[in-house]
Amino acid sequence: MAVAESLSTCRVLVVGAGGIGCELLKNLVLTGFKNIEVIDLDIIDVSNLNRQFLFQKKHVGKSKAQVAKESVLQFCPTANITAYHDSIMNPDYNVEFFRNFMLVMNALDNRAARNHVNRMCLAADIPLIESGTAGYLGQVTVIKKGLTECYECQPKPTQKTFPGCTIRNTPSEPIHCIVWAKYLFNQLFGEEDADQEVSPDTADPEASCESITEARAMASETDGDIKRVSTKEWARSTGYDPAKLFNKLFKDDIMYLLTMDKLWKKRKAPLPLDWHQLESQGSLGLRSPVMGSRFAVGLKDQQVLGVWGYCQLFQHSIETLRSELQEKGDGAELVWDKDDAPALDFVTAAANLRMHIFSMTMKSRFDIKSMAGNIIPAIATTNAIIAGLIVMEGLKVVSGELESCRTIFLNKHPNLRKKLLVPCILDPPCANCYVCASRPEVTVKLNVLKTTVLALQDRILKERFGMVAPDVNIEDGKGTILISSEEGETDANNGKFLSDFGIRNGSRLQSDDFLQDYTLLINVLHAEDLEKDVEFEVVGDAPDKAPPPPSNQEDASSIANGNKDSAQPSTSNAAAEVDDVMIVESEGEEEEEASSSSAAAVPTSGTKRKHLDDETGEASVKRPRTNQSHEAADAEDDDDDDDIIALD
Amino acid sequence: MIDMIAKEDPIISEEEAAQYDRQIRLWGLDAQKRLRGSRVLLVGLGGLGAEVAKNLILAGVKGLTMLDHEKVSQESCRAQFLVPVTAQGENRAQASLERAQYLNPMVEVRAQAERAEDQPDDFFLQFDAVCLTCCSRDLMVRVDQLCSKHNIKVFCGNVYGYYGYMFSDLGPEYNYVEEKPKMVKPSGDTNDGPKAKKAKVDPNETTMVKKTASFCSLKEALEVDWTTEKAKAGLKRTPVDYFLLHVLLKFRTDKGRDPAPQSSGEDARLLRQIRDDVLESMGLNRELLSDDFVSYCFSEMAPVCAVVGGVLGQEVVKALSQRDAPHKNIFFFDGRKGNGVVDYFGPQ
Repeated sequence: MAVAESLSTCRVLVVGAGGIGCELLKNLVLTGFKNIEVIDLDIIDVSNLNRQFLFQKKHVGKSKAQVAKESVLQFCPTANITAYHDSIMNPDYNVEFFRNFMLVMNALDNRAARNHVNRMCLAADIPLIESGTAGYLGQVTVIKKGLTECYECQPKPTQKTFPGCTIRNTPSEPIHCIVWAKYLFNQLFGEEDADQEVSPDTADPEASCESITEARAMASETDGDIKRVSTKEWARSTGYDPAKLFNKLFKDDIMYLLTMDKLWKKRKAPLPLDWHQLESQGSLGLRSPVMGSRFAVGLKDQQVLGVWGYCQLFQHSIETLRSELQEKGDGAELVWDKDDAPALDFVTAAANLRMHIFSMTMKSRFDIKSMAGNIIPAIATTNAIIAGLIVMEGLKVVSGELESCRTIFLNKHPNLRKKLLVPCILDPPCANCYVCASRPEVTVKLNVLKTTVLALQDRILKERFGMVAPDVNIEDGKGTILISSEEGETDANNGKFLSDFGIRNGSRLQSDDFLQDYTLLINVLHAEDLEKDVEFEVVGDAPDKAPPPPSNQEDASSIANGNKDSAQPSTSNAAAEVDDVMIVESEGEEEEEASSSSAAAVPTSGTKRKHLDDETGEASVKRPRTNQSHEAADAEDDDDDDDIIALD
Repeated sequence: MIDMIAKEDPIISEEEAAQYDRQIRLWGLDAQKRLRGSRVLLVGLGGLGAEVAKNLILAGVKGLTMLDHEKVSQESCRAQFLVPVTAQGENRAQASLERAQYLNPMVEVRAQAERAEDQPDDFFLQFDAVCLTCCSRDLMVRVDQLCSKHNIKVFCGNVYGYYGYMFSDLGPEYNYVEEKPKMVKPSGDTNDGPKAKKAKVDPNETTMVKKTASFCSLKEALEVDWTTEKAKAGLKRTPVDYFLLHVLLKFRTDKGRDPAPQSSGEDARLLRQIRDDVLESMGLNRELLSDDFVSYCFSEMAPVCAVVGGVLGQEVVKALSQRDAPHKNIFFFDGRKGNGVVDYFGPQ
């Protein structure tokens, strides 16, 4: 009965009103929670309607949080719901705001927000229930400061990035070509980025040196000094002529690559294409597509066209995008969006043409949309199950029974012990967690002569360490301020190198995020031998292993708003791989119910970890957590944010 | 053999493609088309029934018929999310109809204010799958026997407080497919780079593998003989939830309803008594199922309905689309432990 009273008086916060969020709100009110606040920055899209059941077609375009509230009130008018159409990372939602709640439940789909809420809940000392789903898989866990691991205790696999030379010279998988095509989109129509070069990379360590001078003579960029003419400017100078663009990208640049013969000693060499040749072949009646954006219909989208078909798609999408640019006027830039038909057409065409050149099987627009847009398949039932489990854990929290809280994994198939749902005892906090340890400290390897203050702020503090508005000072006895979160205050420092401030090997930087109430001490380890394309390394991070099955790749950075991470295949169509990893993970971590004799008989493989058996009190060998732990279910869906581009 | 029921209209509309996009990307267009041609009967619109209704309607079946003779009671606001608060006294299925239809206008949702017991055999035969909640053991056994003969897929489930179960009978010869990654052997033709010396999984290509599974009837699943040596040996690995289910089914047979908070004292006594009787009649020790459960099996807990309804809903989707290995044959959820297990009961 005491619980019933707690339920009706306590306030809870739900972060996210999407797939998990809708189910969660429903479960909360039906269970008796009365005071609920829900926040979501997004609006409703038609692709949400297969699972976000609080929304109907007529709501498309409206605020998720707002409509969710209204729908819930329909079946439970006495619920007290406050909806915020806003980002949880808005400084309005400070530690005081979080302290209002007895419980916070995440229903998010991106790492940055999860990191942020993790820190806010640590700062406010409020229990947090974390969860995620991807396809058939899901996971729920409880985070309580001082009692359990925080969300950032275990290093999460960082976004999969491909080396520049793979993208520019030697793609071997469709995803490389798709990333290339997205870079190309930006170079031609969007914001040009020095890290998104599409032309052949002459500095490729694998390439032969002698051929370079010769090749340069043949280089397609002969109309000017390569450095001074940007891809966009060059394209503009041709009037975005599709045939000219085609021949530069798919013929001339490919021929250039061929001169770098070392690259092709052990690889199949690319075969250049010629527009006019294909055109004449195409007019002989090779398969040609229906044009342009009428590819929206399901069945057609899943067709794979012939080469000439993609040539035509290339042409038509360029013509459309060209007009769009013109309409927008001078200095206009387009932003890639998987739901923008000509943009997707362009990437589909360019990626496929490149795949064909590099002897890869071409893919349908449907598949390319999945990979380029990092779409995570999602269904109602998985979200329903996970949201049910969230409330079960929530009841324990509200009743003060934190010790009985568990991490629960949802498998696609029952594991060897017949379990479809696997509860595991929660781990205690990591002593050296760089977020929840009492005085977090970390060592970062970088080149002080080449790392700018801006890079430190954006790539290291914000992207890697999840800060939103960092303040940094140097522990140099003078407390020199390097970065101020106040707008404009330290802009002058942005372009300078760390060494300009006397920062060298052994220097210590104190970084604070005031909103998150988080201080991180960074030890600088100066190095000049970092790998190409690697700007910095966090010492102590698990080194990159052989790439995990593609389904575990996570793309954490995006061009548009916020970060989106995904454990779901962006390179593969089968959700099955993630499942195997989940089963492996949960096998060793189960709560043991049986006696000690059967505990010994539990099948283990290699270095599996057993949690404390709460009946026999046995603890056993820890297994080093791989990056695949818990991760499969980190993401929910992607439809609001747009694209993920692997950093070069 | 009604294995491949012909589905009309192979084309998927633009509206469907847009709405079902995220699930088509998971289970494929083929599966979606089969769903789209399937008719399902759902008996019982309590908490669990509402969850199953939602899940199947969102999935995009052709039609869902909701059958219930019960009336909306006072606790309706806490029980399920399809009935409006103003609907007290109305029939549960009919009161749920409007909201259910709003979930997905592309599905033909119907409501029938009738008892399942009163329906003639013919009634059940018009469906591809039948899903029974809030039903007595006898009714479920009867319907299962009837439907199985006609290759209609049968599902049963219920939620009792913190506990819930679902049972599947997909017939003696259920055919389905599983998507497996293709193994690729290295060849000079493919562009796999110098690293591909050995056969590896090609992440980009998958293949559909045909499989068959065999299911027994509900009657057989419930009438396992625990007196044999083999059964006794397997007892240690058997979820006690199975025996709890027997107790709860017997309770419903005797009282015509599930344990209710209004009569918790009396019901608790009866539950313990039934536990003793049931275990004794099976030749088992009454300590196999401790008294504990009695406090936790009253009324439907919403989050438990969500979990069981999610698993049950997905099993129906799998069976209608004939894709992915089905759970065989009973799923038990224990909301106190957070445990969800699948085990097989019946002849080997």
